Amino acid sequence: MSLKPSRRAVLLALASLALVAGTTLTADAQKKGGILRVGNLGEPPALDAHWTTASITEMLTNHIYEGLYSLDGNNRPIPMLAESHTVSKDGLVYTFKLRQGVKFHNGKEMTSDDVVASLARWGKQSVYGKTLFSQVAEWKALDKYTVEMKLKEKSAIVLISLAVPNNFGAIYPKEIAEKFAPEVKTTEWVGTGPFKLAEWKPDQYIRMVRFDEYKPRNEKPNGYGGGKTAYLDEVRFQPVPEVATRVAQVETGELDFADDLNLDAYDRLKKNPNLRPIVSKPYYWLVAVLNKKEGLMTNQKLRQAWQAAIDIEPIMKNVAGGHTEFYRMDSSLIPPEIPAWHTKLAGLPWNERSKEKVKRLLAEAGYKKEPIRFMTTQEYKWMYDFALLTKQQLEDVGFAIDLQVVDWATLVKRRNNSKEYDAFTTGIGAFYDPTHANFLTASWPGWTTDEDILKLQAEMARETDLKKRQALWEQQTRQFYEKVPVIRYGDLFGLRAIRNTTKGFNDKTERVRFYNVWVEK
Amino acid sequence: MTVYLVRRLLALVPVLAVVVTVVFLLIHLIPGDPVGVMLGPDATPAQIESTRRALGLDRPLYEQLLKFYVRVLQGDLGQSYFLDRPVVTALVERAEPTLVLTFSALLVAVLIGVPSGIIAAAYPGSFWDRALMLGALLGVCVPGFWLSLNFIYLFAVRLGWLPAAGYASIFADPLAALRYMVLPAVSLGFNQSALIARISRSCMLEALQQDYIRTARAKGLSQGVVTWVHAFRNALVPVVTVIGITMAILIGGAVVTEIVFNIPGLGRLIISAVLRRDYPVVQGVILVTATAYVLINLAVDALYVVIDPRIRYE
Amino acid sequence: MSEIRRFARNRNIAVGAGVLALVVLAALLAGVVSTHDPRRLNPAERLKAPSARNLLGTDEFGRDVYSLVLHGAQVSLLVGVTTMVLTSLGGIVIGLIAGYYRRVDLVLMRVMDGLMAFPAILLAIALMAARGPGIGNVVFALSVVYTPRTAMLIRSTVLSLRELDYVQAARALGRRDLVIAFRHILPNCVGPLLVQSSFVFAYAILAEAILGFLGVGVPPYVPSWGNVIASGKNVIREAFWVSLFPGLALTLSGLALNLLGDGLRDVLDPRLRVQ
Repeated sequence: MSLKPSRRAVLLALASLALVAGTTLTADAQKKGGILRVGNLGEPPALDAHWTTASITEMLTNHIYEGLYSLDGNNRPIPMLAESHTVSKDGLVYTFKLRQGVKFHNGKEMTSDDVVASLARWGKQSVYGKTLFSQVAEWKALDKYTVEMKLKEKSAIVLISLAVPNNFGAIYPKEIAEKFAPEVKTTEWVGTGPFKLAEWKPDQYIRMVRFDEYKPRNEKPNGYGGGKTAYLDEVRFQPVPEVATRVAQVETGELDFADDLNLDAYDRLKKNPNLRPIVSKPYYWLVAVLNKKEGLMTNQKLRQAWQAAIDIEPIMKNVAGGHTEFYRMDSSLIPPEIPAWHTKLAGLPWNERSKEKVKRLLAEAGYKKEPIRFMTTQEYKWMYDFALLTKQQLEDVGFAIDLQVVDWATLVKRRNNSKEYDAFTTGIGAFYDPTHANFLTASWPGWTTDEDILKLQAEMARETDLKKRQALWEQQTRQFYEKVPVIRYGDLFGLRAIRNTTKGFNDKTERVRFYNVWVEK
Repeated sequence: MTVYLVRRLLALVPVLAVVVTVVFLLIHLIPGDPVGVMLGPDATPAQIESTRRALGLDRPLYEQLLKFYVRVLQGDLGQSYFLDRPVVTALVERAEPTLVLTFSALLVAVLIGVPSGIIAAAYPGSFWDRALMLGALLGVCVPGFWLSLNFIYLFAVRLGWLPAAGYASIFADPLAALRYMVLPAVSLGFNQSALIARISRSCMLEALQQDYIRTARAKGLSQGVVTWVHAFRNALVPVVTVIGITMAILIGGAVVTEIVFNIPGLGRLIISAVLRRDYPVVQGVILVTATAYVLINLAVDALYVVIDPRIRYE
Repeated sequence: MSEIRRFARNRNIAVGAGVLALVVLAALLAGVVSTHDPRRLNPAERLKAPSARNLLGTDEFGRDVYSLVLHGAQVSLLVGVTTMVLTSLGGIVIGLIAGYYRRVDLVLMRVMDGLMAFPAILLAIALMAARGPGIGNVVFALSVVYTPRTAMLIRSTVLSLRELDYVQAARALGRRDLVIAFRHILPNCVGPLLVQSSFVFAYAILAEAILGFLGVGVPPYVPSWGNVIASGKNVIREAFWVSLFPGLALTLSGLALNLLGDGLRDVLDPRLRVQ
């Protein structure tokens, strides 16, 4: 049967229209749906954002919880669950207006009671919460959608504290915030985030599914804030402790995304047509934290000697697997990715590599080659790497180093006991305000109790003028290199890999987020 | 036979008692304070004290041991400190992958080992015999975990035939489960296949020299029938013994294999429990695997009697 | 003299002992025959393939793999020998007591059975967790695990010999048990003990490597075969030689000891022959 030409034309037109419409529709439909499989370094110690600073917890909790504020593309605070805020003339009263109609995963609406209870709990347990709430005189709800914070003194850190992503002021339902004491991990996980927790099988997987009643903000995605859309049906986080396995699984497609990969894999990943490697900045700057409470490292001259002795670049290069794109030599205590606080100071005694200075300082310190107990772990390979290289460099110029390799759990336990070590390895991740520098506090392991340093930190907490704060921070940086509370090495970047079928991932944010991400097969 | 089995079961009791005691003692071998370790860096002295009392750690040792026995008999292995769930639950969740791995490896070991041994015994002194036995010797000496690494490099990375790591449940996706299990099962079973090959060969040789075999041959039965039917049955006894021993070695070897191939089984559980100082879980895994071994031996012994009626236990 | 001849003629013993001697020599002369200090980090030379300068290549810190393997032999052999000696001594004592005194035997055998029910590696891991890293603890853990097997062996030898006429006669004559044990029974244990020892040696070396590989053995910067294989695991694609050579060394040592054990068994107890 043959159709008349006009009929044929019409059918052809209809067919092509259907084709176009179909493709467009399928293109949009492809956006929503799918399961993303993510490989993690290990298990989170908790899914309670208030309870721990562990970075795995940080990533996971930011999918199911939200705070009053969040960070934008420049790491400045912008509103998230808050609608807006006002500050009184004397700077002592902050009034926050909350967004309305925000639902928790259990269907309840978020109100000021939930905010007050949650942040009160956060203020008792979280590192950042405790710092902020030490300045708070009163914290209460004014009406259903308004909360008020009365300060004891002017503070520069209110918004930034409420915006930091790690160990953050997640808003829980009041019932949960009150049920679990601050030092006890919550075992119920209900938040307002675009994903909700579906299942947690420890050591096997954590499944998060789209929260259909999520109301995103109107703005475009901006850094960690703005509009957040959960395109994926599910995100499945799997612990894959063996880094070689993590890499292998992303190469074969068993995982869509893997983080904390070993840098030696970079060349190979670059060549793989199915995925792309991502250099994540700033990741960590490598640090040897020194025990200033008791033992050999209470001696400032000895600390200065260590600082003068190390040749940082070859260490960084080795840790970075020989790849120059994975490290950066920088003396600033806050990385350039947080532009407001990055310093470019000259003449600092960082990476001096001066043998004469070391000899002089060792003599002045009265050091008699007593072994210095230096703790590290193999669970974070870069820690072990720079510890081993440091040991050799220091021993070549007259130190005696007793390297103690333990597992991370033991290191974290021992570092709180001033009798058990003289130094330990760790990394300082990005912090968004100078007052959040834990290595400049008296309570964090290492115990920085130098009066001048603490005084400057307190001043910066009060000073609200940005230019003045920046000047104070430069002063603090110079003081840091003179008093040497910890030894700063260089900046290390991380390696991630993502399959090309995963779209929309924000490479620029240092923390990993899977909202606004979809899969295209 | 029933009497024998009952007696063996009764003999198990003191053995298991020893197992439980050793497991109990493990935690008390730790120098220093186990509770401080368990609760972590931020525990206050008050919290440590109350936990000690709650765990009964302030009572004298024999009293604690007794309580431990009672709990174990009731099936209560305690609470995992890290996983926030009963140890028994954690064990049950992880049992499947380890069981699948162990049985797959056993299958590999038997399927490669027994025929190899028999073929070698059927043509003693031949090229095949020598080649197989050389292979078996190497197989015994090659470290399983090293073999795993090389397998991954060859088959997963270079050739891309098989996945590098991971696990899929048979009940969920049989085909994927098979693909994931090939490299782990072969690298784990390889050592044991060599052992089984050697033992099978020697037992077969011995059996083939028995009088009745010569008689059968004299009667004119073909070589094949003679070998397989008559000798095999007799060789089975010691082979079954070896299989029993193999199980025990496999249970231990599974630990490393699970780590390398990222299989979420009991082996990986115990390693992470050790690293996290989650002692109840460590105790639980050791207890379960030791008990399994004892029971497997019992089963092997019972199988003996079934296979060879000539064996009678006094 | 003819005794030694009998041993030397057996091919397994000859080859096994020969290779073992080579390994021992390498370990003893490691300091002399090495080309580099195995602990010396040389970041600029990391992951270099085998060359004239580094015979077996370098690892991720630029350490020379050849030197690492040689020095690693020291740890392996030390652990192997010490474990072997301790298990033999422990096994003899326990086996003798069990074989001689019926009542103690009952209890001891249950304990041994119980200890043998634990998969060796798991028990070693748990013990290492309790006691921490270090070569002493590795030896301790392995000794605890392998002594029961030796004890059982000695015990069965004692049991079979106890009923022999000349032993009965000695007892009748009033000789003290200990003397009988030393003069009559122990010499007969030597054979099976030697055989067993070679296998214990082999297991101990392998177990040390496994523990090192899992990260619960000797500290990671101490050259040991397990540690080097572990460090090579993550760079196996870029530098397969790091894991390859210590693995070969392990296989070779295991081979030597297994051959030795087989050969000894052939010569000393033909009844146990695995043809």
